[in-house]
Amino acid sequence: MRELSTKQKILRFMANNTVPLLFVVIIAFGVPLSGYSPTYLAGEVISRISRNTFLIVSLLIPILAGMGLNFGMTLGAMAGQIGLIFTTDWGIVGIPGILLAMIVSTPLSILLGWWCGKILNMAKGREMVTSYIIGFFMNGIYQLVVLYGMGPLIKIISPNLLLPRGYGIRNTVNLIGIRKSLDNFLMIRIGGVPIPVGTFLVIALLSVFILWFKKTKLGQDMRAVGQDMEVARAAGIRVEYTRIMSIIISTVLAGYGMIIYLHNIGTLNTYNSHMQIGMFSVAALLVGGATVASAKIRNVFLGVVLFHLMFIVSPMAGKRLIGQAQLGEYFRVFVSYGVITTSLVLYEVRKKRERGMSGLALAQDQEVTS
Amino acid sequence: MTKRQRTLLIRVGAIVLVFLFAVFLFHIGRQHTVLIDNNTVTRDGVELQALKLVEVQVGKKGEVLEMTPRIRDKAVVVGQRHTVKVVYTDASWNEHVHELSFRIPLMQNMVLISLPALMKNPEDVSFWLENFEGLPTAQSDAPQEEDVVFDELAGFDSF
Repeated sequence: MRELSTKQKILRFMANNTVPLLFVVIIAFGVPLSGYSPTYLAGEVISRISRNTFLIVSLLIPILAGMGLNFGMTLGAMAGQIGLIFTTDWGIVGIPGILLAMIVSTPLSILLGWWCGKILNMAKGREMVTSYIIGFFMNGIYQLVVLYGMGPLIKIISPNLLLPRGYGIRNTVNLIGIRKSLDNFLMIRIGGVPIPVGTFLVIALLSVFILWFKKTKLGQDMRAVGQDMEVARAAGIRVEYTRIMSIIISTVLAGYGMIIYLHNIGTLNTYNSHMQIGMFSVAALLVGGATVASAKIRNVFLGVVLFHLMFIVSPMAGKRLIGQAQLGEYFRVFVSYGVITTSLVLYEVRKKRERGMSGLALAQDQEVTS
Repeated sequence: MTKRQRTLLIRVGAIVLVFLFAVFLFHIGRQHTVLIDNNTVTRDGVELQALKLVEVQVGKKGEVLEMTPRIRDKAVVVGQRHTVKVVYTDASWNEHVHELSFRIPLMQNMVLISLPALMKNPEDVSFWLENFEGLPTAQSDAPQEEDVVFDELAGFDSF
């Protein structure tokens, strides 16, 4: 194989990292325009890393199993929210409250993940759009349960949680009892920037778990299934089971991630918090350079930093640029959807190009042999 | 024991362990409100006068509350077993210090400590500590209905 020139290497690097580079350019313009101090930006970015990373890491396992971006993580988010509603109702506070919410959410996440995995096995090749629609469908069930089931069917002790009519959970649930309890555990300050070491330790543990999991038998099976389902099946791997397991693990982790996310915010928006969480997590992962077929831990961290820097600076940059912060708000929505579209298009283009190149290489080989 | 039975046993054992851990978390993480009341009370037909000036601290790290007659304050605590320290100086300038421990029932949201009763009979916890169920909320002007908001982009700002 011929050696690539420096120019070709740079071009290939740029082609492989189009989305992150695009974001670097946006941020390079946005940060000076916003006028925010480096300390403020560092504090905000660190806070958002601790808030969102766990959620985004939950997307890695289905990608490993070749199931693409799991928009069905919303199901886990709903399970996490139900866990939080119960622990708030029971009056469990602090880190025990977070852990208990995670325990409560786990069986729900497993059940929902198993169900979602079963459906995705029936929709092979269209997993992303199917999981996206499953999220919407499940949202209806969630609303039915939370709005009409909680109170008369599922006992809620605290009247503060119930709507004035006596059943259904209020629009917002105050999570003051657990707010930032994990973040404040082992909190240190470096140069005036608060670092939530406790949350970072949890994220580090999860990252180590993901790296370890990839080396286990199940992890290797997922990799094999992700590369070629038929070859994996021929090798004796239970393809359907492996795919379901990947979705279950992702859903459970998404539930935990949602609890960490909401504990940082301190308020549960009962009927809305989970709705766009899949979309933003996917967008952040793609901004970090991940694709539908490949994602690593480094993509998660790079994605969180770049995506959230854009989130932080865009309203102020918009205000300074044309005198309206609303522009930045629109820009954030536009970029979130746009980055997913761009990544999906780029992935397809790259796949077609690689297929074309391998076809050409095969034709050349056949010419040589004949 | 077959491999299948052993796997099942391990799984059931893990579920039981997680359940026990959840029960433990419930016990150590349950929040309660302790109301500290310095009003004149009647116990066994005897009227106990409110204390003139008293310092109260619930828990070792709790805030020290200075209380005058007809004052009711609160302390928020986590867990079931707690201590209360009461420092009271009487009319003859004699300082009375009581450091007592008490237990809040697991499912009880609020308990009330009556300071005059505590000073009278500190040894008998049931004499000065009682469960408090809260008063019925007053009729307010707040609407009886609350619109439920479904907004697809509601979580956007916090993300």
